Amino acid sequence: MTIRTARPNRAQHFQPRLYCLKKLESILLEMQDTKSGVKGTEQKLNITTIPHVIAGNDTIAWISNQMKTTTEEAQAFGTMLVAYGYIYPLQNHKKLVMCNDSSLYRFQTPYFWPTQKWVPDDSDYAIYLAKRNIRKKGVLEPYEQAHYNHLHEWLNHKWDFIVMQAAEQYKAGKERKKPDRVVFDCQERAYWMVNRPPRCAHSAMDCGPERLIDPNTDEKTTFDIYRRKNMFYQQAIMRSKVKSSVSLGALVKYITTYKNHDPFLASCLPSNPWQTDHDAYWTLNMRRVEVPTKMRVERWSFSLFELLSDLRGRDDFKIFLKKEFSGENLAFWEAAEELKWGTSSSMSTKAETIFKTFLAPGAPRWINIDGRTMGLTVKGLEHPHRYVLEAAQTHVFLLMKKDTFFRYLKSPTYKDIQKKALNPEPHNFSPANLEQNALNRSPGIHPIILWQQEEEEKAKAAAASAPVDVKAMMSKIDRKK
Amino acid sequence: MPLVNNKVGNDCTVGTDKTLADGKDLVESVIKVVACYRHLAACVGGCTDSLQLRDELRQMREKALNLAEAIRLHLTSHLRDKSLPEDQRKEMELLWVAFSSSLELLHVDMCKVFSMGDNFSLANTASLVQTGLQGGGSEVAARALSLADLNQEPPTLPAGLESQERSTMEQEISQIDHMIDDMEKKVNVLRWMVEPRGPQYADPLSSTESASLALLSIDEEQPGHKPLCQRNLIFVLLLLFAVVLVAATLSVCLVLFS
Repeated sequence: MTIRTARPNRAQHFQPRLYCLKKLESILLEMQDTKSGVKGTEQKLNITTIPHVIAGNDTIAWISNQMKTTTEEAQAFGTMLVAYGYIYPLQNHKKLVMCNDSSLYRFQTPYFWPTQKWVPDDSDYAIYLAKRNIRKKGVLEPYEQAHYNHLHEWLNHKWDFIVMQAAEQYKAGKERKKPDRVVFDCQERAYWMVNRPPRCAHSAMDCGPERLIDPNTDEKTTFDIYRRKNMFYQQAIMRSKVKSSVSLGALVKYITTYKNHDPFLASCLPSNPWQTDHDAYWTLNMRRVEVPTKMRVERWSFSLFELLSDLRGRDDFKIFLKKEFSGENLAFWEAAEELKWGTSSSMSTKAETIFKTFLAPGAPRWINIDGRTMGLTVKGLEHPHRYVLEAAQTHVFLLMKKDTFFRYLKSPTYKDIQKKALNPEPHNFSPANLEQNALNRSPGIHPIILWQQEEEEKAKAAAASAPVDVKAMMSKIDRKK
Repeated sequence: MPLVNNKVGNDCTVGTDKTLADGKDLVESVIKVVACYRHLAACVGGCTDSLQLRDELRQMREKALNLAEAIRLHLTSHLRDKSLPEDQRKEMELLWVAFSSSLELLHVDMCKVFSMGDNFSLANTASLVQTGLQGGGSEVAARALSLADLNQEPPTLPAGLESQERSTMEQEISQIDHMIDDMEKKVNVLRWMVEPRGPQYADPLSSTESASLALLSIDEEQPGHKPLCQRNLIFVLLLLFAVVLVAATLSVCLVLFS
């Protein structure tokens, strides 16, 4: 069994954003040219001087000259060069930006350049951290320490090798002259600062998901590509089109309706749990809460779809329909949903019950759909599948939408719940409070408990809606007497 | 290169101790060569890149491949020996893991040097990156290679030989590739069963040297504040101690002579 951790990326996956780096390398080579590139000076340390140091303002001036752009763009370009690790700062090595002043930078050696194929390896990082530790014990930053401990667990089988290799590399480094040693240490440190950045630092190396096609190579145009293009365009012609004014109008209408309900665009009341670690928002908006929040109730009025998707809203709608004695539409819609989403083994029994309850002539909860749909549905029910009730369900939905929904919105049930709805105050947490909240985070209600509650409610509802057993009623009345 | 095929029954503890020691030496030397190779590989493409550097790299590659071949035969033959006692087997497996990891590191470094050799040809010295290095890697190469290897004449390479060197390199890379695959097929070492014997943290080497290096690198950030403070503190403490000692001797003298 192989655990080959140091294998190159043999063209299986491509990190799409990094392919532009190849173009950077040519500019970089121009930049470091002694004659026409950025002017290099020497860096004076305690005892030694190290050559080939460039200043930030010189670099930015050169870039803006060479690429004929403004200083701001040149500065941004320089910062990207630093962020990707082609140039590293000497004075503040943790902050990977290029400043337009006399701060000093140096070019990184090509061995440490970020090319596409060489993923920075975990065992290399472990060796580097071990080397830092050999040089001076306890000099690792907390995040590096955490990495080190994790790697010790993860690469435990190689640990002897890692320690030995770190010791050997350190000893080999000591053979070199002091300035070279310092330069090499700085280079390595810069490389790992780019490739294993500290927490909460912006890293240029964040790239999206890996692709299976190499973005560098041009796709060969074969016959198959043209065939697929043809199919695509033919289907596109046949699609029904809408004028952009109409579709944009619909989009604008959607945005104006929902803009106060979007947690990104408007603050959610009382507070966004992801930001403040206080879960009042979730507990107030649970499935079976007695009194819903105002925003939730407002959302029910947007469309029947919203009302039915929110189960609390559906309950409310059911109460209204019970008063009106027209609950069979909703019951049919719910039964059809159950058929769609249920298990395939239960499909035939469900189809039977639905037919007996809703569709058979003279059924107890007969729904009023037009003859054609009824005929199609009954025929389909002979060989039931998941979507056999689709047409009937849509028809019933439209009936509800056009008629019952608006009556609901004007009904005392809805107005009542609108009045009762809660409008929680927005929280105002100080940083100390936020810390406290973060410490007091709890895992919340276990999903099994929620599921049990649901089962209980379902049993209650089934018992309540079961046909009344006359004999049992009579015997109860007798007993009372 | 001792290849001990000791399958004798009674002498086996003595034999395998020696083989273990041999194996350990070989693996340590391979680790040393790989470490030095990495140091030198980091110079490729920079301003210190030269024919000599490439030549040193080539020599180290050859040495590493020879050592690797020897270790492979040694370890494969021993690990396939079913009669190996349990503790010997564990030691061998540790060596095996160390060896295969160093082979992988070497493979990565070789591939990197190969692709960089593509991009940075020695003919165009202006395009070599000014990295700030001044010395070549000869001292590091000296550590890895023995005196006999170094005394060879640095060859004067005509232009065509660079491509020949590249094809040799390709062969060497594929050789290591096959070696790794081969090893995995022949011997089944379960990585999760291998336990390291060594410490989690490598021991810091002698404090004076480490302190001086620390001085040099910290200098770059804060112009010498921290180490100076440390130095000052030590001086003050020493001074105080000396003063206390002098005071003690003076008082003892007073007591004795009064």
